[in-house]
Amino acid sequence: MSDTGETGDGEGGGAPLDPGTAGGLWLDGNPEDPIVLSADGPALLGRDPFAELDEPDPFLARIDGLAPLARPVAPTRARLHAVEPPVARVDEAVGETAEAPPPPRPAEPPRPGPRARRRRRISLPRLSEVELPDVSGWVERWFGEEERRRLAALTHLVESGGSYDRFGLSPETVRRVFPLFYALYRVYFRVESRGHENIPVEGPAILAGNHGGLLPFDGAMGVVDVFLNSDPPRLPRAIVERWAGTLPWVNVFYARVGQVIGTRENFTDLLDEGHPVLVFPEGVSGIRKPISQRYRLQGFHVGFVEQALRARAPIVPVAFIGSDDQTPILYDLKGLARRLGIPAMPITPTFPWLGPLGLLPYPVKYRIVYGEPFEFHERFGPEGAEDARLVRYLANQVRRTVQHLVDRSR
Amino acid sequence: MANVLVTHADEPLGRRVVKTLYHDPGVGQLLTVGAGPPPRAFDRFLADGSRRLSYVRVDLARHRSASDLFHSAALREAEIDTVVHVPRHGATQDEEAPVAAGLPLRTAEARLVVQHCLEVRSIRNLVTVGSAYVYRLQPGNANRLRENSELDLDPTVAPELRSWIDCDMIFHGEVGAERLRVVLLRVPTVVASGGYVYLNPGLAGPGRLRFRPAGFDPMCALVADKDVARAVRAAVESDRAGIYNVAGVETVPLSVLSRWTRRPALPAPGSLLRLAGAAMRWAGGGPLLLHGDHLRYGFTLDTGLAERELGYAPSYRIGLSRAGDGVLRLETSAA
Repeated sequence: MSDTGETGDGEGGGAPLDPGTAGGLWLDGNPEDPIVLSADGPALLGRDPFAELDEPDPFLARIDGLAPLARPVAPTRARLHAVEPPVARVDEAVGETAEAPPPPRPAEPPRPGPRARRRRRISLPRLSEVELPDVSGWVERWFGEEERRRLAALTHLVESGGSYDRFGLSPETVRRVFPLFYALYRVYFRVESRGHENIPVEGPAILAGNHGGLLPFDGAMGVVDVFLNSDPPRLPRAIVERWAGTLPWVNVFYARVGQVIGTRENFTDLLDEGHPVLVFPEGVSGIRKPISQRYRLQGFHVGFVEQALRARAPIVPVAFIGSDDQTPILYDLKGLARRLGIPAMPITPTFPWLGPLGLLPYPVKYRIVYGEPFEFHERFGPEGAEDARLVRYLANQVRRTVQHLVDRSR
Repeated sequence: MANVLVTHADEPLGRRVVKTLYHDPGVGQLLTVGAGPPPRAFDRFLADGSRRLSYVRVDLARHRSASDLFHSAALREAEIDTVVHVPRHGATQDEEAPVAAGLPLRTAEARLVVQHCLEVRSIRNLVTVGSAYVYRLQPGNANRLRENSELDLDPTVAPELRSWIDCDMIFHGEVGAERLRVVLLRVPTVVASGGYVYLNPGLAGPGRLRFRPAGFDPMCALVADKDVARAVRAAVESDRAGIYNVAGVETVPLSVLSRWTRRPALPAPGSLLRLAGAAMRWAGGGPLLLHGDHLRYGFTLDTGLAERELGYAPSYRIGLSRAGDGVLRLETSAA
């Protein structure tokens, strides 16, 4: 699963990030080429084209306003104190270079765009409002009252009152396959999670996480975790690679359980309808990284930041611990993968020696941590999506935060 | 008040359009054209003392008969200023547009209709119905198509789809005409009461058995025939020219639609279907559509432009309903 954000190159370097580099920013997505903001003088922008001009850098003027982003933004929720907000350090570094920081733009009240005004926001009822369905089979008996209420609430996801939404989601199919994923969640991966208070209770949101493990069980566990720990129960819609749409049966399964092919239009529509969207901005680079790179985030696609700004959606950084251990990749035969037209051709301790069974994940323990949401739209507004440098910069902020979450939670 | 010529009024969509326009106070004379005898549904309209509706049998695919129609005294006397062209889509859902001399009659008719509408100076508006299956589809089930989305111009596309694409391009080419206002409405699968389904290439064709690639189940956008007729009426009354997507609210997988309409589409290996399709083409071309992106990938239409400019909004729902004989059928009902 990945964000296929069409505007990003997404092929940043694979070198490990160093969370201890306080003044380091990665404006171009290449962690090996940090742009250092000096604490005692004008910014040393390295290869930045603005550095050769006498005019003040408009980009730096814009990021001066990042300071208020360090304030808590999610309503009435405890914060994850273990995570140091990286934007605060950025502000410290930048603040010394700017003589008179411009006042931050007053936060505008959220207003829906023209598309959002036209489209009805999907909203699910709170658990206490859901009528408890009858127990009809042994599977239902296995679930508690709360899980059954959550599954019953899924019917509200289909706007037209029919059996399928326009992306192909079928609440009935979700109900049928839920026991399998519930077992994976509880028994096989033994998922632990924290930071649910950072997931918005309603409205659009983007959950951006690290990707790993060849098969997207991290996405599946993320969806199940949010679904089981939100009230009203929210079913995140994961953005998947276009390539998945060409796979027989897989494409149908993905569509029926709510996953959506990652095109710009689909992403926009999901946010307009108020869905939480799960993206893996590393894309395929994340799932095919070798064991030596595990838990080191690859370059981020930036499309999700554009979408967040345009749809005025918060971005919740998410760390998935365990996904990079579920299928350790010893080597990726990239040439062969290109010839076969597939994203990766890995050599693992079990694949290809055990055939397709060798791709199954090991029963590793999963931990999922949700960080504080970024509300970039409050500072930069939808027009910020037009500024490619800003979008790249903000994407790297999210990337650094996810890396921090991963490093501190391992 | 518009005086309207409706083509293929003897086919299901044409009948529905005529009925809707007949009850529209903004429409005066109705000259209806069909290849067969007048539909029984028109009996009470024809017997009406107002003589607002008349029906003539014309083969629109033949140049001479089309020319005779557009230069006839009946057309002049009725002061026809608007033509609603409902392309040939088959009098029954089993029927396909026939092919003559390698050219689908649907395409030949479209050419002649456009040519004569441009020639006859009293005709100022041309409203036509096209298929939304003309768009190129990307992998996945969530293609959201807008009017400016790319058309499928792949030369290997099936003849049935090819004819719709050719018709679309013929009308598209005249959208900017100065004297003639051209409106093209692209519609997805059309559902009529009683379980009838039109314009879905996955369910088209004679015979009781159809195939689709295994492992794929495209989402099919639906629209009720009454909503199509309402969109045509809105286009007739509007002063806008252009191309508009028209669709309903519901979207269902092809497998479900085929089950509902009792037109089974059996899954078979895609490679096998591709081979069979190539063999059929080599043998002279068959009407069966065995493979193609429309059998793999689904789509929905963005109808925002039609809502804003034509004032169209779907008002009919589509679902299963138990008829008097106790059989569940696909039905449409007012929302």
